[in-house]
Amino acid sequence: MQQRVALPHPQINADLLKNVLKAPAWYWGIMAFLGGVVIFGSVLVAYLLNKGFGLSGAHRPVMWGILIVDFVFWIGISHAGVMLSAILRLSKAEWRRPATRAAEVLTVFSLMIAALHPVVHAGRPWRIIYWSFPYDFSRGLWVNIRSPLVWDPSAIFTYLTGSTLFVIVALIPDMAVIRDRTTGIRHNIYSVMAMGWRGTPRQWKLQVVAGFLLSALLLPVFVSVHSIVSWDFAVMIGVEGYHVTIFAPYFVIGAVLSGVSAVVTMMILMKWMFGWGNYIRQEHIENLAKLLVVIGTGWLYFFFVEFIFALYSLESQEIALRELQAFTWPYWPLALVFIFLSYIIPIPMWMFPGVRRNIRIMFWSSLVVNVGMWLERFLIIVPGLARKQVWTFDWSTYHPSFIEVMIVVTAYALVFLLLLTFAKLFPLIPLFDIKEGDILGDEIVIGKRRVPALRVEE
Amino acid sequence: MVSTPRERKWQMVVDADRCTGCQACVIACQAENNIPINSESHFQQKRAFTWIRIERYWEGEFPEVKARFIPFLCQHCDNAPCEPVCPVFATYHNNEGLNVQVYNRCVGTRFCQNNCPYHARYFNFWEPVWPETLRNALNPDVTVRGRGIMEKCTFCVQRIRRGEQDAKREGRDVRDGEFQPACAQACPANVLIFGDVRDPQSRIHEFLAKDRRFRLREELGTETNVIYLSKLDLEAKEVAGHA
Amino acid sequence: MRTTRRKFLKWSSVGALGAVVFGGCTIPESALLVQSPVRMPEDLVSGLEAWYATSCGQCGAGEGIIVRVIEGRAIKIEGNPDHPVSRGKSVAMCQAGLQSLYNPARLRAPMKLTGSRGSGQYQEITWEEAYAEVVDSLRSADPARVALMTEPLRGTLGMMAGKFMEAYGGQHLGYEALERTTLKAAVQQVFGAERLPDFDIDHSDYILSFGADFLSSWLSPTRYNRGYGEFRQGGNERGTLIQVESRFSMTAANADKWVFVRPGREGEVAVSIAYVLMTEYAGAIDAAAANALTGGQGATVLGTFTPEAVAQTSGVSAERIRELAKALAEHPNSIVLGGGSAGATSNGLSNLKAIYSLNHLIGSVGRSGGVVFNPASPLGDLPAEGKAGPFEEWQGLADRMRGGQVQVAMVHGANPAYGLPTAVGFEEALNGAGKIISFSSFMDETTRWADLILPDHVYLESWGDDVPEPGPGYQVVTFQQPVVRPLYRTRAFGDSLLAVAKELGSSVAAALPWATMKEAVQETALKLQALARGSVQSGDARSFWNAVLQRGGWWDLDAKGERPAEGPPALPTNAVEPRFEGPTSGASFFLVPFVSNSLGDGKGANLPWLQAAPDPVTTVVWHTWVELSMSKAQELGIKEGDELEIEGAGGRRIVAKAYLHPGVSPDVVCIPTGQGHTHYGDFLVGPDVSRFQNGVGTGRGPNVFAPLAAAKVEGSGALAWAANRVSIRKTGNSGRLAKLEGPVFPDFHDVEAYWPIRKPESSH
Ligand SMILES: Nc1nc2c(c(=O)[nH]1)N[C@H]1C(S)=C(S)[C@@H](COP(=O)(O)OP(=O)(O)OC[C@H]3O[C@@H](n4cnc5c(=O)[nH]c(N)nc54)[C@H](O)[C@@H]3O)O[C@H]1N2
Ligand code: SF4
Ligand code: SF4
Ligand code: SF4
Ligand code: SF4
Ligand code: SF4
Repeated sequence: MQQRVALPHPQINADLLKNVLKAPAWYWGIMAFLGGVVIFGSVLVAYLLNKGFGLSGAHRPVMWGILIVDFVFWIGISHAGVMLSAILRLSKAEWRRPATRAAEVLTVFSLMIAALHPVVHAGRPWRIIYWSFPYDFSRGLWVNIRSPLVWDPSAIFTYLTGSTLFVIVALIPDMAVIRDRTTGIRHNIYSVMAMGWRGTPRQWKLQVVAGFLLSALLLPVFVSVHSIVSWDFAVMIGVEGYHVTIFAPYFVIGAVLSGVSAVVTMMILMKWMFGWGNYIRQEHIENLAKLLVVIGTGWLYFFFVEFIFALYSLESQEIALRELQAFTWPYWPLALVFIFLSYIIPIPMWMFPGVRRNIRIMFWSSLVVNVGMWLERFLIIVPGLARKQVWTFDWSTYHPSFIEVMIVVTAYALVFLLLLTFAKLFPLIPLFDIKEGDILGDEIVIGKRRVPALRVEE
Repeated sequence: MVSTPRERKWQMVVDADRCTGCQACVIACQAENNIPINSESHFQQKRAFTWIRIERYWEGEFPEVKARFIPFLCQHCDNAPCEPVCPVFATYHNNEGLNVQVYNRCVGTRFCQNNCPYHARYFNFWEPVWPETLRNALNPDVTVRGRGIMEKCTFCVQRIRRGEQDAKREGRDVRDGEFQPACAQACPANVLIFGDVRDPQSRIHEFLAKDRRFRLREELGTETNVIYLSKLDLEAKEVAGHA
Repeated sequence: MRTTRRKFLKWSSVGALGAVVFGGCTIPESALLVQSPVRMPEDLVSGLEAWYATSCGQCGAGEGIIVRVIEGRAIKIEGNPDHPVSRGKSVAMCQAGLQSLYNPARLRAPMKLTGSRGSGQYQEITWEEAYAEVVDSLRSADPARVALMTEPLRGTLGMMAGKFMEAYGGQHLGYEALERTTLKAAVQQVFGAERLPDFDIDHSDYILSFGADFLSSWLSPTRYNRGYGEFRQGGNERGTLIQVESRFSMTAANADKWVFVRPGREGEVAVSIAYVLMTEYAGAIDAAAANALTGGQGATVLGTFTPEAVAQTSGVSAERIRELAKALAEHPNSIVLGGGSAGATSNGLSNLKAIYSLNHLIGSVGRSGGVVFNPASPLGDLPAEGKAGPFEEWQGLADRMRGGQVQVAMVHGANPAYGLPTAVGFEEALNGAGKIISFSSFMDETTRWADLILPDHVYLESWGDDVPEPGPGYQVVTFQQPVVRPLYRTRAFGDSLLAVAKELGSSVAAALPWATMKEAVQETALKLQALARGSVQSGDARSFWNAVLQRGGWWDLDAKGERPAEGPPALPTNAVEPRFEGPTSGASFFLVPFVSNSLGDGKGANLPWLQAAPDPVTTVVWHTWVELSMSKAQELGIKEGDELEIEGAGGRRIVAKAYLHPGVSPDVVCIPTGQGHTHYGDFLVGPDVSRFQNGVGTGRGPNVFAPLAAAKVEGSGALAWAANRVSIRKTGNSGRLAKLEGPVFPDFHDVEAYWPIRKPESSH
């Protein structure tokens, strides 16, 4: 029998606003460390932009390196937010409540970081404005709408706008709570952000409706974003392994796998860091793990279908590419690590309730999924370009340069930095949602059944 | 009187059977097109610029070894895979069959190079540097590209334009062979034949009619404007013309 | 800090006021520096191009080029379409001439040594001071103890240098790093021809080449590459090319068949072919020639050269020898060529004689599609042959200098300190000379010891003329005019000779009566005009002069070379064994040096375009590499890029990176010429990140000439540069070989599917 601890609202407020109102010392320590990494990375980026993309490891014929790998990776991570918030919200899954905010915020930040990658990758940020924001009207020269690289920015910025709104709408009631607990300048700022929230029934109703509407609106966008990212590759007739029809669903489901795993990792971290054991509970992690089993297996199907393409058609170029990806140095060890980390190790493990309920194991197993999924993107992108095709006389393999690796590391640091900054400014678990949940349901779902929960007042 | 210019379509025939691998075309192209100097590390980094390059493939084992040379340049595909993927129209097709590259629109995504099945595009990973005095040899008809820009064989479009202007000034149509790309002009073995296929009188027809003709990776449907004539070998299995 | 135009503009925009006051309306001097020589107004019209015909000074073949000039700057070099040898075509070396002209490492003014010799400390002086100093040294020296070392000079300059040294009394020695001495001796002895013949490969249907890498930089690369195109796909039936060589050269790479032969055994194979021709195809060959070749005794005197016997020593199978003989007999228009390493072993002369003799047998002497002879120079005193002393004369000169018997050593266009094996000790010998005067345009290994430097113009800035060598089979004189105004305070070597002669006075001044080089060249033109024949004819001296400059030369298609009267000398009846110097035990290999396609004998090593031109066969750039057979490398555990120490005779060593090559015999290593300069310019190229830059000219791998033994070709006295054995050892270091090709990938068969290689429709 699961126990559900119903906490008094002042306690919820105190717990969840602990960090916002007064951050502990370790928090500032981590912030300083991450800030240092980000500053170091930014200096390297500046050096790269100054000297040229020659400082990367890209060369003929591998023109896209780990910056694009990382770009796809972060776009993938960003699929967690909507997946959880929107789908779970629409399906009224009660256990979603503590997870939504973190997932949405992760979406926004990972999208922002993802969008930075192509900017650095192109090497001259001052030149790329008319790519995303065509301004050259006077000459009748528009961007080339046939290019997926034009679809990309529109998809990403739509998704970014939508998910930012999503976060803001959900934040409003909480802003009001903070507003009422702060003084001075902070009070003024939170007042503005609370947008005059008084908690009237009409306001609550509007807030809920807005949440539902945004969810419904964002779902197609979420599917389109990674589909479009996949088309960056799928349209390339010049690259055998890319030019396949399954890329869109394959990329989307892969993105969901890595995004949801990232949310699991992050929730466990939040639970540990902020002591939110009462909010992020076993049932959450367990439910997410079940979801991941389904998603991961779906993803595996696509993974195999890709190989089937080569085997079924016996097209020599396809087979050569798969050989390169899976059996050729230096890619085969990566391929092995990837398939173990992203499927063979975690997914079967999560079939067992004992594992699902062990927070520690869940933390590590969800983390390795993303290591594996990062390698998956690497193995799609790099060997695809480094293929030993006919007429690739100056063939060579690709090794990322130190600067590229550091830029990738910096991207991680920056996402963490942004998340922690967010955690300082706003509650990472929505206060209102938790309370709403408490009020709406003194029932919990166990298996297929709704049962009364035991309320234990403390 | 200058009449409306005729529609032109430029093509090149590459007779692989004549090519000796002498590299004259490579240097001629570098000189004509202000191609950055390839330092040792450009080669080690696999970032050397060779708008035309000579690929050499081995066949057989000692002592029955053979080498095959084949010159490689942008194929000026009519269905060019590099074109639709460029987000900013920095590479596009003109109505003369040329795949053209607009350097100052290029934002450096390198998408086009990934999608070129012929690996004919070259990216300026570095700002090109010339020792000051060597800059004197730069061709004023050709832009010096900067860092972050994609470049490739242009079929020496500056020579085409100059030829057209000269013809226009003299009130006549361009004459076949009055100009040719730098590589074709240099090539001592006359491997590279350039011409306007819409001109029924042009010499290129003589070569296009040969039964040794083939296109590279024809199965992709890229409709290249560079047509190869196959290499002949006494010990090959098939007989030319009966393939 | 130098003020360049760019910086100037930068500063002007920074300090706008200063720019207006001091610089606003003036053109910086550097921008004015490069200007049209002839000051024709159309040169200076923006955007309009002018093309000047002139003569090429790059590889020494003396061909005609045209140069595109815009606003006073030379922009592009092409072959001169009118010129009989180049016919509008060019190779990499020709194209790169612009980088000689604009080379940052050019010597820019006359200089006098201020420090000790070799210190590189020079002080700029005026030309008058420089001439006075030369005159002083020549006056005070004993003429018999003066040496002038030059490149092989032809045309008016050759005539002038010859007259100068004749009148003055010193020794004039021509220098060729890659000697033609043996080849010339062979041609002389086999055909009785004084000049190198032209090989009419255009109209040939079968070429059998022994070691002559004629598609690379052998003799006249543009001419042979052009001919090869015709040979393959010209109007006639597709020709067949067979290359018999110890290295898989560029010509071998293009051949229908490459036949590996052990170094020094080319002659035996040739005689064996002659034997088969005489015994099995007697009806198809020239009986008179067969008679002469055997001293009238018939094929039996060649009995030691049966294919079976020769197969034992040469490594060429008996069937192959019979096959080659059969093909020679069957093709009506075949040519047999020889050169390169075939003529550079101790028995090189004997090899080449045997090889060229085959032409007599197959009747290809003096006919179209065969060996075509060149006529004598159209003017009696205009040398058509660049004279170069053989290696043994250079050894002699070195000994004299070492012994202090040379008071003044003058050098122009020659770099013996680089090209002679270190075994000769030339640099140390040169320092025995009392005074060293260099007329080089570039600092190099010889000039670095000079006491006085009087830098020459480069060819694009000078007046001159040349006689192509080898010629096209008729009389040609190429004219050279400056296409740009000289960039620096340099003077043409010819003008310097004239100035010095005038100062020296007496017989020397009388021998060289011209005021300037241009005047001397004009006089040559006048003499040609007086012949009243050929491509340019005019009653008016001025219009004749203008016409030869416009067309880039004068030629007379009717003034053909005669087929020399003599028949061939008899072939040897016993094999002349090649001798090799250097270690023979352990991991010992034949060392087969070969001439770099782009750098030639090393002269092109200061031009970035040539350094970066991939070697056709290996695609290596910017390096010296060692070609090693794949099987041997596997056995020795050597990978591409491993540094190998090559030790030759006398323990002389070089270190170079390995290139594994499917076309190398396991007992041979091959190394290209051209690199290994220590003093040949030092400017940097490459990205603006110092670790990615590299110097040009110097420090680019070792010089293959250095470890060679001072062995001679018997009978010609030339350096036997292919007569060495070496041992190799891994140093343990490894690096990345810069080359165009990626890591070799074995699936060539895939390429074949996309690249139909066909059999010619009909063949013999
Ligand atoms: N006497 C006389 N005066 C006139 C006129 C006339 O007909 N006769 N016409 C008038 C008219 S209509 C005009 S528009 C003006 C034009 O007058 P200006 O604007 O002075 O035009 P230009 O002299 O053609 O070019 C200015 C400078 O720009 C440089 N330049 C070229 N390209 C670039 C570039 O890409 N970047 C930078 N930074 N610089 C570049 C050129 O080298 C030149 O030095 O003159 C006016 N003045
Ligand atoms: S060869 Fe490559 S660069 Fe050239 S047109 Fe075709 S796809 Fe474009
Ligand atoms: S690199 Fe330049 S030309 Fe190529 S796709 Fe990108 S913007 Fe277009
Ligand atoms: S056509 Fe012009 S640009 Fe293209 S490879 Fe030839 S020389 Fe270079
Ligand atoms: S110049 Fe002609 S023969 Fe020489 S490598 Fe180029 S295409 Fe081949
Ligand atoms: S072949 Fe030699 S002489 Fe002739 S143009 Fe070329 S470099 Fe000059």
